Formats: sequence, structure tokens, C-alpha cells
Amino acid sequence: MPPKRQIWLLMQLLPVMLVLTVLFGGALLLGVAQALGFAPWFGVNTFPDTSHFAALWSDPVFWRSLGFTLYYAFVATGLAVVFGVLLALALRESFAGKTLFKYIYKLPLMIPYAVGIALAVLLLGNGGMASRMMAFVGVIDDPSQFPQILKTHAGWGIIAVYVWKQLPFVALTVYAVLLGLGRETEEAAKVLGAHRWQVFWHVTLPQILPAIVSSSLIITAFNIGAFEAPFILGGGFPDTLPVVAWRYFNDADYTLQLRGMAVVVTLAIVSGVVLFAYLGTYRRFERKRGRS
Amino acid sequence: MTITLLRMTLAASLLATSALAEDAAGFRENFLSGAAPWETVTKRAADEGTVNLYYWGGSDPLNIWMDQVVTPDLAKLGVTLNPVRITGTKDAIDLVLAEKGAGKALGAGSVDAIWVNGENFATLKRQDALFGSFADKLPNSAHFEWDETDPRALLNLRDFGLATEAAEVPWSGEQYVCAVNTGRVEHAAAPTTFAELRTYLEAHPGKFSYVKPPHWLGNTFVQAALYAHNPDGSGATPFQETLESLGAAELARLIQPGFEYLKSIEPLLLGAQSGNIRYPEDGAALNGLFLNGEIDFACQFGLYAVATNLANGTFPEGAQSFIFPEGNMIKNKNYLAIPSNAPHPAAALVLADYMSSVAAQASKLQFTGMPAGIDPWTLTTDEAETLSAAAPGYIGVTQAELDANTAPDTNATLVDVIEAVWLDYIERGSADPFDVIVARAVSNLSN
Repeated sequence: MPPKRQIWLLMQLLPVMLVLTVLFGGALLLGVAQALGFAPWFGVNTFPDTSHFAALWSDPVFWRSLGFTLYYAFVATGLAVVFGVLLALALRESFAGKTLFKYIYKLPLMIPYAVGIALAVLLLGNGGMASRMMAFVGVIDDPSQFPQILKTHAGWGIIAVYVWKQLPFVALTVYAVLLGLGRETEEAAKVLGAHRWQVFWHVTLPQILPAIVSSSLIITAFNIGAFEAPFILGGGFPDTLPVVAWRYFNDADYTLQLRGMAVVVTLAIVSGVVLFAYLGTYRRFERKRGRS
Repeated sequence: MTITLLRMTLAASLLATSALAEDAAGFRENFLSGAAPWETVTKRAADEGTVNLYYWGGSDPLNIWMDQVVTPDLAKLGVTLNPVRITGTKDAIDLVLAEKGAGKALGAGSVDAIWVNGENFATLKRQDALFGSFADKLPNSAHFEWDETDPRALLNLRDFGLATEAAEVPWSGEQYVCAVNTGRVEHAAAPTTFAELRTYLEAHPGKFSYVKPPHWLGNTFVQAALYAHNPDGSGATPFQETLESLGAAELARLIQPGFEYLKSIEPLLLGAQSGNIRYPEDGAALNGLFLNGEIDFACQFGLYAVATNLANGTFPEGAQSFIFPEGNMIKNKNYLAIPSNAPHPAAALVLADYMSSVAAQASKLQFTGMPAGIDPWTLTTDEAETLSAAAPGYIGVTQAELDANTAPDTNATLVDVIEAVWLDYIERGSADPFDVIVARAVSNLSN
């Protein structure tokens, strides 16, 4: 490569590299250092000290928290992918009002999570519209008798908000790929006598799989680390790991911040392992099919 | 020519700023030793120009009062108020300590004054991050009782049992008061003791909850329960001592009956019937449950909370205060503290003095329902009348009833332990013996 182009390439890469190494890498290093007992600004410096991790990981409640964190993340991702793909496939057909619908389904993408959470509270909460309506028409005596949907460990509120926001994202990504593919291969399969299901399974799905994997990677990573939804809509103790970390940070006792940092670092490790395992499995699968 | 002039002015103002920052330490010494007359403070404050007040910004009436009353009043004194609304006081404390750790001294930090009390003040004091004993040297310090021999001075001298040493000036006084929704329960049927509360909940399971500790509104409910179940019957008295002088074993003995009570009502709290006990996260969440009729009683700090919350619609229409728990309604004050690395120390002092004036206290009371932090008996008759005329008034209780049931706050060193014990014993449902739980909480803290 001529030196001029090399310099140009470097200039293209530099801004992102700077952000990644200085801001992200620096914060990560500092986080790990704090979790290992380095916090001289609180008068704490026992580096290197693994007791914060040991205390965290030996606590059965931590594992329950981790379980809830992964449960909400995986269920929401699964639902968003299934319904998002169905939506993307449906968008290829023509139906009345399609132009308008194509705008409407993208709305959640533009609305922040916090608004979605507020909507869930307003609609589904025990003091929300649904409960007041039921109380008003006399199905229940007072709003508090409304079945509890939010703030339970089943987490339907959290999952609903995640799916509401992420379903359009999956649909948009997959739909874009579908548009680029065209329908020729599917039509060829049909001509050769394949059933609808066979067409989807052997022709369409393999082609949209990369889009499904990349979009579900992104939303899984978000769902594992998200704080607001489980904090506001979750069932309380035991909380998901991001909420646990926040509770430690917010405690008036400063030494607990180190424990909070250990939670955050653990979360980063779990998230990294899950995502790499997912990506690795997918790559192996593709290689086995002879595509790389 | 113009550019040269501009440069010169710029250089001059830069010089002036750095000169201000440099002699901040000298100013502090002069002021705290009493050598500097108040005029030098006001003059310097006008030179500093701005004061950064960090306070919990979750109350609309308070924010409106800051913008509509405090800002123009301070402008008359030559100081621009920069209200920094934070979601938790701890954010400001974190900032002060982080900047202190980074070597920013007086005149160089970013926080001039913080609305604070209890553990957060204790943290500032422990980390030696306070400006110094300024509160008794303000012109308006005459509005506070500082005489140690007068028991009424206690709330000015001690904050959660910790000596304030005049490093913070009282801003508001509050009492922990419970409200009943008379649309659902008659005022006379509201419980007045913890035993009556349990009886009520046995008949009406799920109709009560308290804010989740370690939020201070939850801590205070727990403290009241501990006072009431003190096995010696001495109420709040032993809880005024520090953890060091009391010792873990004695603390465990004192608090065990109270915690056993809290454990015993847990299956009767909101949501417990469906297996998912709900402790609201903060005051706003508590008010929401109360407004919806999900709980019949709501306990929080707020002498005038019923009147204020009825006016702005955050309480149900039938809400009234009631006396609970008898003899153990915790009363405390909250304060304005100046950190040791305040960028504008003189402006912060002017702010603190302004906040201690009768006019500011009366308009705060009128706008926000936050009770006065100044002591009425130190005022002239006219001033005291101005203050009482501004109060929104009590609904369901009288001043005499409130005064007769007052209890002091718990020592800040014990609050940390009590929080940790609640999280372990109540929330996590630890099966360990109670004294082991307390010992563990104590040893975790001292680490």
C-alpha cells in the first residue's frame, strides 16, 4: 500500500480507535482495578485484592440475580427475533395500508426506552389505566386488585418493553436483507416443488441468518446490561445484576462501590462470554455448511 | 487597538480569577477566626459572582421556589445562583470527594453548597471535606439556638447524633409523620402503635408498606420500630451513642425485638399475598401507592406533607395525618453544608446567610411546605408570626400532639449497621443467628 493511502487509512481509523482505547479501554481498566481494591480517592487501596469477587461469587443470591438477568435477556431476545422475522416476511407481501404501517411499526425505534417504561407503568400498573378502567366498570372493587403484571419476577413488564422496542429493530434489519435478496431463489425452489415451509427453512432462513444473528447479538448485549427497565418494572430483591450494581454504588457506604464495580466487571465477563459463545457457535455452523 | 484592549481585559480578569482562587485559603482562615467582617464576605462574594448549590431536584415546588425567589434575591446581593439539581445527594458528595482526591482545594472545586444531612454529612466530615465552622458566624446565626445547655439546641448541634460543629447550617426541620386515607379507613381507626398496625394488617393484609431501606425514608421507619421495641424500654436514648461506644453485641440485643417485629409483619405487607413483597423505592413511589388506594397508610418526612400533597394532587382526597408510632415520631433537621473545595466560598456563605433569614424561611415554607430550619423562639414576635402565617397547616393532628410524640434520629454510625442488618435479615432472609448478622454488618463496615 502506498504510504499516502496508509496515512489516509490511519486517519480513518484513528477517531474510533481513540474512543475505544482511551474512553472504553480506560474505563474498563479502571473498573477492573477498582473491583480489585484500588480506590485511593475513598482512602481504600488493597490492590490486588480478590475478596470483592470472592464475596460476590460465593453468594447464592448473586447467582439468582444472574439467572434473572439472563432470563429476561434471552426471553425478550427470542420473542423479538421470532416476531421480528415474521413481521419482516409479512412486509414483503402487499396489503392495504402497507405504506402507513411501514412508518408505524418503526415508531418504537425512535421512542426512548424510558418512555416505553412509562407507558407500561401507565397502562399495566396496579394504578394504571387498565386497572382503573376495570375498577370503574366494576370488574374489580379497587385498582389494587388488578392482577399484578409489573414488578414481578416473571418479568412480563421488562420483557414487554424490550420486545416492544427491539422487535421493529430485528424486523428492519431482516427486511433490508430480504429486499436485497429478491424472490428469485424462493421462486426457483417453489418451481422445483418445495413447500412453503421447506422454502423458508432451506432457502430464506439461511440467507437472512447473518442479519438475525447480528441483530440478536446487539439486543442481547443491551438486554444483559440494561438498568432502567428491571429497576422500575422488576420484582425487587433479588434484582438483576445492573440493578444490584447500582444499589452498591448508591449506598452511603463508600466501600460498597468496590463491590459494585466487581458486579459490573462480572457482568461484562458474562456478557462477553455469552456473545462470543453465540458468535462462535454460529461461525462453526456456517463453516460446517461450507460457507465462511 | 480594540483587540489589545480586549486582551488586556481578558488577562486582567484571568489574573483576578486566579488571585481569587489563590487567596481563598487566606479568606477561609480570616473568616473562621472571626477576623474578617461580614462586609469583606459580601464584597468577595460579588467578585466571585456565582454560587453552585447542589440539591435533590425531585421536588417541583422547591425548584420553582429556587428559580422564582432565591435567584432574584441573590442577584440583589450580587451573586448568581446556579442551582444544580441532582437525583441523589450522594452524587454531590461523590463529586466533592473525587475532586478532593484529584487535589482540587478551596477555590478550585465545583460544589459550593450541598443540601445534606445524616450519613452524607458524616461522610464529608469523616473525609475532612468541610469548609469549617461557619454556621455560628453568619449574621443570621442569631436565628438558631446554639446554647448547649438548652435541649432545644440539639438539632442544631447534632446531625444524626454526629456533632455538626457548625460546619453545616440548619435549613429545614422535619418530622416523620404517617398519613391515613380516610376514604378507606376512619381517622380514629388508624393504628397508633406498632402492635395495632399488625392487628390492622392481620385484618387487612397487604394494605401497608414502607420505603425500602437503605433509602432514608425506609431507614427512619425501621428506626422508629427499633425505638418502640427497645427491650429496656428506653426508646431512642441508647441509639444516640456511637457504634464504637455501644458495641456490636449490645446493639444486637437492642435491635433484635424491633427486627423480629418487622419480620413478623412482612407476610402482611403489600404484595406478600401473591408472593412478591413490594417495598417502594422512594417517596414518589410510596405516594403513588397511597394515591391508588393500594396502601392505606403512608409514612414519610413531612409535617405539612398532607396539606402540600393534597394541594398538588399527589395524595388521595381523604388523606389526613395521624399520630404513629406513639412517642417515636422521629424529628430531625436538614442542612446546607459548604465543602472544603468550594470554588466560591464567600458566595456560599452569603447563600447560607440568606437561607437563614426569616424572609427566605417563610417564603420557602409557603412555596414548598418545608418547615422552617430556624428556631422560632429566637425570633421577635413579628418574625415568628410571619413564619407561622406562612405554614400550610396541619390536617388531622395538632402541634401539641406532634410535640408530645417526638423522638430524635439515630446516630449516623448505627444507621449504616441498621441498614445492612435490614438488607441481610429482612430482604435476604438470612438464616444466621441474629447476633451473627449484626456482627457481620459491623465488620463489613469497618473494613
